[in-house]
Amino acid sequence: MSELAIELHQVTKRFGPKVAVNAVTLSIPQGQVYGLIGPNGAGKTTSFSMMCGYLYPSEGSLKVMGVEPTAPGALKGKLGALPQDAILPPGWEVGALLTYWARLSALPEPEREAREALEKVGLAEAWATQTQALSHGMAKRTAMAQALMGQPPLVLLDEPTAGLDPRIASQVRQIIRDMRGKQTVVVSSHNLQELEELCDGAAILDRGSLAKAGTMSELTGQSAEFRVQIARGDIIPPELTQLAGVTAAKMEAPGVLLVRFDGQAHKPEEVISRTVGHLLQTGVLILGVSRGQKLEERVLQIL
Amino acid sequence: MDGLKEIAVIWSAETRRAVRSGRVLVLLGLYSMFSALVLLIVGAIANAIREQVTARLAETGNGDEAAAALSVEMKKSLLGALTSNDTALMEALSQVPIVVLVVFKVTLFFLPAYVALMGFDQISGEVGPRSIRYITVRARRSSLLMGKFLVQASLLVGLVLVIDLGVFIYARITNPDFTFAALGLNLLKFWMAAIVFSLAYIALTAFCSSMFRSPAVSLVFNFVLLFTFWLMDVVGQGYKDSVLGFIRFLSPSYYSGDLLHPQISQFGVSGAAYAGFAMLFLGGAYAVLRARDL
Repeated sequence: MSELAIELHQVTKRFGPKVAVNAVTLSIPQGQVYGLIGPNGAGKTTSFSMMCGYLYPSEGSLKVMGVEPTAPGALKGKLGALPQDAILPPGWEVGALLTYWARLSALPEPEREAREALEKVGLAEAWATQTQALSHGMAKRTAMAQALMGQPPLVLLDEPTAGLDPRIASQVRQIIRDMRGKQTVVVSSHNLQELEELCDGAAILDRGSLAKAGTMSELTGQSAEFRVQIARGDIIPPELTQLAGVTAAKMEAPGVLLVRFDGQAHKPEEVISRTVGHLLQTGVLILGVSRGQKLEERVLQIL
Repeated sequence: MDGLKEIAVIWSAETRRAVRSGRVLVLLGLYSMFSALVLLIVGAIANAIREQVTARLAETGNGDEAAAALSVEMKKSLLGALTSNDTALMEALSQVPIVVLVVFKVTLFFLPAYVALMGFDQISGEVGPRSIRYITVRARRSSLLMGKFLVQASLLVGLVLVIDLGVFIYARITNPDFTFAALGLNLLKFWMAAIVFSLAYIALTAFCSSMFRSPAVSLVFNFVLLFTFWLMDVVGQGYKDSVLGFIRFLSPSYYSGDLLHPQISQFGVSGAAYAGFAMLFLGGAYAVLRARDL
C-alpha cells in the first residue's frame, strides 16, 4: 500500500466558468493530522469533496488510500467523512440511523459501533431522538459520530468545530488528538489556532490554488526563526550574526528581536540557548522567547 | 456480492422507515379514496342503467328472463369495449364483475401519477440536502439506486394488494355469483398485472429523481414525461396507418392492453415491453447518478 493517504496531482475543478480548485498538487502522508487552510472560497470544501468522491475533478488525478475515490465501492471501510453542509436525513432515530450506516459500512457489530461512536461525541442520550429534532450542535456531533464508526484508516473532517460551543469543540479536538498516529485525519477549518495546535502538517489554499504546504514546523518557521522579547538593554544585531547557526538578526518591532537561523545544520535549542546566553552576557534583560510565528500570522503573510 | 448486500441493507432500512412514516398512510388513503370514488361512480351508473332497463322491460310486459339476457348482452358489449373485442381476453375475463375491470382500467391511468407522487424525491430528496454524501462513502451509487427502487416497488406491491383486495371483496359482496375461487385467481392476475405495469413507472420515477437536485423539479419533469407518453400513445393510435403511428410503440401506455391476456405470447410481449422500459429507465438513472457531482 502507498505510504501516502491522499495524493492530488494537478487537480482542477470547475463549476461552469468558475474555477474552484486550480491545478493543485498535494500529498498527505498516512498517520498524520493534516489541515486544509484558507479563506472562504479558497477551495477547501471542493478539495475535500473530491477526496471523498462526491465531486469529480475536471482535470488531474487524485488517489485516496491508493484508490480513485469515485470508483464504485472504492472507499468503503477506508474512509470516514464529516461533510460540512450535508443535512442528516429526517425521519430517523439517531441510533437507528447510525446502526443502518454502520451496517452499510459492513462493520461486524453495527449497533455497538453506533453506540460507541455516540458516546465518544457525548451524545449517548440522543439514541432515540429523531434527527429533525436535533439542535445544530447535536446534529454536527451525530455527523461526527458517523465518521468515527469502525475507526476507518482515513477520516476527513470539514469544519468539525464550526458552530459548536467551546466545551464541545474542545471535546472534538480531543477526539482528533486521540486519533493521531492511529488514523490519518484531514481537518478543514477556519480556526487557525485550532489547526496549529492539532495538525502535523497543512496546506494553505487561496482562490483555488495551493499557496503553501508543509509540516506545521515549516509553515510557522519553527525550525528557521525565533523571537526574543526584550525588556531592557542594547542589542547589536551584527554581533548576533557572528554566532554559530545564526543567519540574520534584526529588531522586528520595538522590544522584539527576530533571529533567523539555519535549522538544517543546527538544532534550534542550541542556537536559541547560544543567542540568549550572548544577550544575557551583554546585559540584556529578556521577557520571553518564542519559536517561529503564529500560524495565523504566517497565513496572513502568505494570503 | 458486496453490492447485493448493500442493496439488501438499504432496502430493509429504508422500507422500515417508510412503513413507519405517515407518508405511506397518506398514500394508502389517496389510493383507496380514488379507487372508492371510481367504484362508487361505476356502481351508481351500472345500477341506474339496470333499473331503467328493468323498468322499461316491465312496461313492455317482458319478464325477468329478458332482463337477465339483456344484462348479459350489456356486460358483453362493455367487456368488448374494454378489451378491444379480443375474444380470448373477453372469455378469460367473463367471470370478473365489470366494476373490477373498469376500476383496473382507470387505475392503470392513475398508477403512473401515483407512483410519481410516491417516489419523486427518492434520490433528489437525498441529493438536494446532500444527505446522499453519508451513503456514498459506504455504498455504491448503483446500490443506492437499486435499494431505493426496491423500496418503492415493495411499498407499491403492498398498497396495490390492499386496494385490489378491497375492490374484489366489494365485487364479491355486490355480485354473489362471483365465486371465491374466481376471486382468488383473478385477484392474483390483476395484482401481478398491476405490478408488471408499475415497475416500469417506478423506474421512470427513479430516473426523473436522479436527474435533478430539487424534488419539485423532478416531480414536474416526471409528469411531463407521463403526459408525453400518453400523448405518444394517443397520437400513435390515431395515426395507425401512417409513419407517425409507430410512436405508440415507444410509449409504455401502449402495452397495457394485454397485461391480463390469457395467451402467454400476448402477455409475454406486454410483460417484456414493461421489463424493457424498466431496464431502460433504471439504466438511464444509473448513468445520470454515476456521472453527476453529489
